[in-house]
Amino acid sequence: MKETRRDFLKKSGCALSMAALATQMQHLGMMSALAQKMDDASPEGGGAYKALVLVYMAGGNDGNNVVIPNHSDATISNYGVYSAARSAQGLAIPQAQLLPIAVPRMGGLTYGLNPNLGPLAAGGINNGIHELWAQGKMAIVPNCGTLVKPMTKTTYQNGTVQKPYQLFSHSDQVNQSQTSISNGQSFSGWGGRVADKMNAASNPTGLLPMITSISGAQLFTAGQTTLPLAINNASTSLANVLNPSGFTNTGGPARLTSFNQLRTYDLSPNYINAASHVTDLAMQANSALSSTQEVTVAFPTSSIGLQLKQVARLVKERLDLNINRQIFYVQVGSFDTHTFQLTGQTTLLQQFSQAVRAFYDEMTAQGTQNDVTLFTLSDFGRTFIPAGTGAGVGTDHAWGNHMFAIGGSVAGGDFYGVNGSNGTPFPTLSVGTSAPDDTDNGTSAKGRWIPTTSVDQYAATLAKWYGLADADQAAVFPNIGNFTTSNLGFLP
Amino acid sequence: MHNSNFVRTRRNLIASLMTVLLLVLGAFGQYDPDPNSPTPVLLTEYDSTRALVQRANLSRRTPLPVSGQLAFAPNSKATLYVTNIALMDGEVANAFRIDAEDAKGRHYLFAVVDIQPMKEDGLYAITVLLRDEAGFWEPPTADGDLLIALTWRGLTSNRARLGLGVTGGAIKDDPGAVPMPLGSTPKTTISRTLKAVSGSKAFSGVPDADYGGGYPFSGDRKRFLEQATFGPTVAIDQRIRRIGLRTWLAEQLDAQYPSLNNPYPDLPLKSTNQNDVTLGCGPSDGSTFYRLCSRDYYSMYPVQKWFYTEALYGGDTQLRHRVAWALAQMWVVSGVDTQQASWMITYYKILSRNAFGNYRTLMKEMTLNPGMGNYLDMARSTKGNPNENYPREIMQLFTVGLFMLNQDGTLQRDASNNPIPTYSQDTVNNLTKVMTGWTFCNTTCPSSQPGIVNYKDPLILNQTNHDVTAKTLLSYPNAVNQTIPVNLNGATELDMALDNIFNHPNVGPFVSKYLIQQLVTSNPTPAFVGRIAAVFNNNGLGVRGDMRAVVKAILLDPEARGDVKTDPNYGKLREPVQLVTNLARRFDVKSASLGGPSDGVINNLSANIGQSTFTSPTVFNFYPPDYVIPGTSLPGPEFAIMTTSTSIGRANLGNSMVYSQIAVSENAPAGTKLDFSEMTALATADPTCNRLLDALNERMMHNTMSAQMRSSILTAVTSIASTNPAARAQSAVYLVATSSQYQIQR
Repeated sequence: MKETRRDFLKKSGCALSMAALATQMQHLGMMSALAQKMDDASPEGGGAYKALVLVYMAGGNDGNNVVIPNHSDATISNYGVYSAARSAQGLAIPQAQLLPIAVPRMGGLTYGLNPNLGPLAAGGINNGIHELWAQGKMAIVPNCGTLVKPMTKTTYQNGTVQKPYQLFSHSDQVNQSQTSISNGQSFSGWGGRVADKMNAASNPTGLLPMITSISGAQLFTAGQTTLPLAINNASTSLANVLNPSGFTNTGGPARLTSFNQLRTYDLSPNYINAASHVTDLAMQANSALSSTQEVTVAFPTSSIGLQLKQVARLVKERLDLNINRQIFYVQVGSFDTHTFQLTGQTTLLQQFSQAVRAFYDEMTAQGTQNDVTLFTLSDFGRTFIPAGTGAGVGTDHAWGNHMFAIGGSVAGGDFYGVNGSNGTPFPTLSVGTSAPDDTDNGTSAKGRWIPTTSVDQYAATLAKWYGLADADQAAVFPNIGNFTTSNLGFLP
Repeated sequence: MHNSNFVRTRRNLIASLMTVLLLVLGAFGQYDPDPNSPTPVLLTEYDSTRALVQRANLSRRTPLPVSGQLAFAPNSKATLYVTNIALMDGEVANAFRIDAEDAKGRHYLFAVVDIQPMKEDGLYAITVLLRDEAGFWEPPTADGDLLIALTWRGLTSNRARLGLGVTGGAIKDDPGAVPMPLGSTPKTTISRTLKAVSGSKAFSGVPDADYGGGYPFSGDRKRFLEQATFGPTVAIDQRIRRIGLRTWLAEQLDAQYPSLNNPYPDLPLKSTNQNDVTLGCGPSDGSTFYRLCSRDYYSMYPVQKWFYTEALYGGDTQLRHRVAWALAQMWVVSGVDTQQASWMITYYKILSRNAFGNYRTLMKEMTLNPGMGNYLDMARSTKGNPNENYPREIMQLFTVGLFMLNQDGTLQRDASNNPIPTYSQDTVNNLTKVMTGWTFCNTTCPSSQPGIVNYKDPLILNQTNHDVTAKTLLSYPNAVNQTIPVNLNGATELDMALDNIFNHPNVGPFVSKYLIQQLVTSNPTPAFVGRIAAVFNNNGLGVRGDMRAVVKAILLDPEARGDVKTDPNYGKLREPVQLVTNLARRFDVKSASLGGPSDGVINNLSANIGQSTFTSPTVFNFYPPDYVIPGTSLPGPEFAIMTTSTSIGRANLGNSMVYSQIAVSENAPAGTKLDFSEMTALATADPTCNRLLDALNERMMHNTMSAQMRSSILTAVTSIASTNPAARAQSAVYLVATSSQYQIQR
């Protein structure tokens, strides 16, 4: 539904408008006595706090080098198979460097995480995310990707099952992973649609929108009625992140009055209405974000570190903001490693692991580790067969990929998802005609895994934990009925 | 509705000058017709605002109904009646749209699917499909009246009631809305015969403009300059007033580029290894040499400085600069990836050289541009290790797009109403094979230097790395080179493949719609796209891809032209670059001391709100062309970087540009400051500040500022003591510049 500014103000309610006015005055340093925060008000409705944090690995992360067989069981793809495919061109990670994880779902076999997800030789500020596996706080959903319906190599090749549109194309696969709709274009994201369904009941007096992006406008965050907040990372304090400057000049207060009035005029042209609406949302959020509580755990200064630090600040502010349910979007990348993957992916995975671990530790310090679930998505996986050789080696666009879910409520330490033809959720690492999980036949096949678990199933599992009612599931995930289960079980 | 009064008051003066003008125009002048189209009128009942309506598909001989008391189901068709329009040859139903609002305030865009002349002179029956065009919305609930307006060429009709499900309901008429029965409105005298699509280039529905030479339409001059340049200035506005649009365009299309006093920076190639002491900048020792060397060779600084200098001060080069910049946001390479200025200049030269050239030439030169070859990996693609990055993106982003298009830019759909993919992964694989074997010319070309990657000369072919197997490329009716046989030379194959892509029917509408969105409006009518695509397909001389003809047709189209645009879905959000340059040019941008020109070091201004030139985050540009504004069904590419964060950033940009300056520093040798002395003089001369507001209304708002807006700004401005006219001028400029009314170019 398109919301006019009038509707928005109506919904926002009188209390917010007063608070907004007061805090704008506080920003101007004029009447701080008026700027009463709503510290005492405990959030109404919605139950205990829960938050979802999407870490989007932009560009298509090569999951084949993140979760690797670390065993020699000949009945299933083992380290030798992996090494044979990738070592000649210099892309295989030596087995001795892998960080072992035992996987009950794989009969107790050992797999290995990319070494950059553990303690770093230099420059690390924590031990990374690897040890969260053994603590049971981290789960992996292997070979997850965009699907319209369950698909096999046979149905992929004979065309009897509809494929996601424009496989292997960045922009389209980003859109599909963020909309959870692969059979046609959608202009709303699944995060936005969850918020559409839940915001009114969960955050009836919330002072911020349900969704906040620390990485600009993203389709994931856009609903049909939900507009997200988008703010800068922690290099700017929450109090300043949406604070317009300059109203202390000569004539400033009168100018601010007019600045605020102009947003309410001339709204018949739809583009002017849209621009005013966004600015209005920003000014209202600015009013709510006047004080800041700082985090206590050290965060890295990488972009993803600063983004997650800003998320942690907002989680800490949740009571002041009257928020019970919250969705965050942060992004790390670019993982589009057609070339020079060894250096490129290493840096990014280190940044990812260090930042996510800091965030988990901060949630623990805040006592919210069981209320906050962090999860990953990416454009797609990358080809198992490398492109190029030597230092310049890289990988091309592919499909199924390995996703991570991290948090105190995650039933961690295991793989989750739908079994493929090998009886497990982990793909068979072989390429070409006889390879059951590769899209292509013949010598030009590169190992593009056909997903066994859909983004829809992964997302629906997260949304259910978050509190999305079963009755609303089909509206948020219109294709979920095509799959055998809508709950993968990693968030019991 | 348009400027006939204004024109009449000027007629005598113009007539007296006519002889002189004819002498001047006779040599090189070209005639500009009146840009203003009539405003369409939706007929209503005699005594209400209810639209006259009947079931669709009745005979055109069916008499005009007298009642609007019919209700329609969602997805059904309704026939309405419109008058006061003037159609060009070939202008048919897709030139019109219906903007519908429901009782909940939601807006829908309905397609007009048919238009037929009635026997009454100047009256047309239009048939509307009551379904949102974008297909984003669920149908409006069928529980009462919608308020509907017919839009055409950026103009909107009166709003009338149309019953959906039932008549009546909660929605209220617009304030002051009156019935518009037949006979209450002026009838146009244009032939009511609808002709089949023809090659007519008729510009406006009004054939005989009653003015002389030049271009007296003040509002449209500013609109034109917002579309064709980096912002209106007094000088260029007066010049167009004098010589007219077409003559100005002819000058711009043939002018030398870049400006004589702003030549391209001539930068040597440098090693890609910044730590290479002999070829890079030496050790990172904090020395001035290292700082300046890094800045000038390993950053986008010199390119950005040159680019903005041309945008701020270029004269005859504005149009080419503007179109090249639009193309740069389509054929994206990014300094994020390779931080060398020298190759970015080489890349930009291709865009500017071909901005008015042929699109096929642009495709070839860009494919072999070493910067692009590096950015999208074609320079490393061999038959043993093929890389599909560039082959995919040249189709998806630069030429044909993902889905089959009609010639008016709308999506073709299959029997299940799904869009039809233009190509498959198989096509990508085949094109990838075609594009193998190319590499940097590091030894045998004019700019080759030992041990350095040559980012200046085009890529060269190493046939031994080229895949010589047969290929199957894009399929379309009468496809050119759909297959490539075995054992051809890679250079031959590249030309064959580019011809295959270039002749795909999608290219015309795809490129045309993109350029319209960049220059004019985010949501052009299909008719506008179709008119431009037709020019792309054939410039009138049988040439396909003539960008000179395309650019000219876009800027002279009746949907682009006109003093006032009232269609609620017309316009576009100013991208950060345009916002910065329009404000700077409008207020006489100078150095920090106001004693000379700005040095052009202003990229930080646009970077702070999401557009750091030449450093797009990805190949998908700063914003994607198909972005839809959240919570609406309205395309708005630039809104992808209009967030809560950047909306405040835009206000802060206004604050910086109006109240502050870019001070002189090592990187900003002259600094930058806007000069508001002319506005201050107006505030001094008229303490009521009405003249100040008049000037800002004319210069920034095309004379469309609403009474409310003016009153609010006047109150703020006059709260400042009249003894401080400079602060009054600043306050007024700040409020207009930061308003959504200005942020939207309309």
